[in-house]
Amino acid sequence: MRLLMTASQIRRLPVVTVRGGEDVAEVRDVIYSPESGRLVGVTLNKRGFFAGRRRDVLPVQAIHAVGQHAVMVLDDSSLVASEDAPDDVGHPATERNVLGDDVLTEGGSSLGKVADLVLLVGGSGEVVGYQIDKAGGGQGYIPLPAQLSVSGDALVVPNITEEFVQDDLVGLGASVDEFRARLGLT
Amino acid sequence: MSESFKESAGRKVLSRSTAKEIGAVGHILVDAHQRRIAAVVIGRGKKAQLVDWAQLSGFGPDAVMVVDDGVLRPPADDRERAAAEGKLELVGKRALSERGNELGELDDVTFDADSGVLEELVIGDRRVPAGSLLGSGSYAAVLDQSEDPSP
Repeated sequence: MRLLMTASQIRRLPVVTVRGGEDVAEVRDVIYSPESGRLVGVTLNKRGFFAGRRRDVLPVQAIHAVGQHAVMVLDDSSLVASEDAPDDVGHPATERNVLGDDVLTEGGSSLGKVADLVLLVGGSGEVVGYQIDKAGGGQGYIPLPAQLSVSGDALVVPNITEEFVQDDLVGLGASVDEFRARLGLT
Repeated sequence: MSESFKESAGRKVLSRSTAKEIGAVGHILVDAHQRRIAAVVIGRGKKAQLVDWAQLSGFGPDAVMVVDDGVLRPPADDRERAAAEGKLELVGKRALSERGNELGELDDVTFDADSGVLEELVIGDRRVPAGSLLGSGSYAAVLDQSEDPSP
């Protein structure tokens, strides 16, 4: 059983220091690398409503943990100016965006379109699945293998993904390990 | 002897040298890394003053005794100013695990009245050893992941 959350649930979470207990920022958006299936960092807003964007970013290496109620960092120094951050965090390529991509199996069936990312709670931001708008209507969740081919238009997933389409995050959390085992990934 | 933040709130503070009442315990400022009391804030609001733990001659059940009136001082830095304003008060503070999950609200903190060393954090019906406190600030008290029950 794994505890999962979507990228939308991470937006607006406070960024809190472990050593200081202070809310130093909040998550504006997640920056994701579809090729590696991992979060590379998050962009930040100042705390409070209408407080505006912060110029610094949080690379994934500096994230202590992503939880249900906060993104934890050790201290203030975890936030870095975007010009000093690794390129994929400081200057993310816009074509990286997979939202709206068609999800196709290797056999050529469309499962739906990517609506959101699903991340593992507690770690440092491993993306383990996608929320999709199903081809037949309604929402579903699919697990992700570690590697997959992706372009700005579509992403290709193994055929067995079709058997693992879940109705909710709890179902996805229960099936991620089995899915990966079937693909020989664990 | 074991004392608690909640029980000692509002306790009168006297000067050992003059036997006069100086005020009452407003807040308690902790050093989260050493897990001990750093200072006692006397009074609340703009006129609040601090006494370092080392300047107390006793933290007793009926009164807190400071060695001399002269040891009271205004807040010296941002953290002490925040403490004087009550922003760092541990009782009522959100308890967050280092994994980013909320564990509840801190209802009380117990400490050794002789040494000022924190003993336990009370969160609802749980009592957590103070050794699990990693940091505390205006937003949260952050606890070690071993206190986080989520999978």
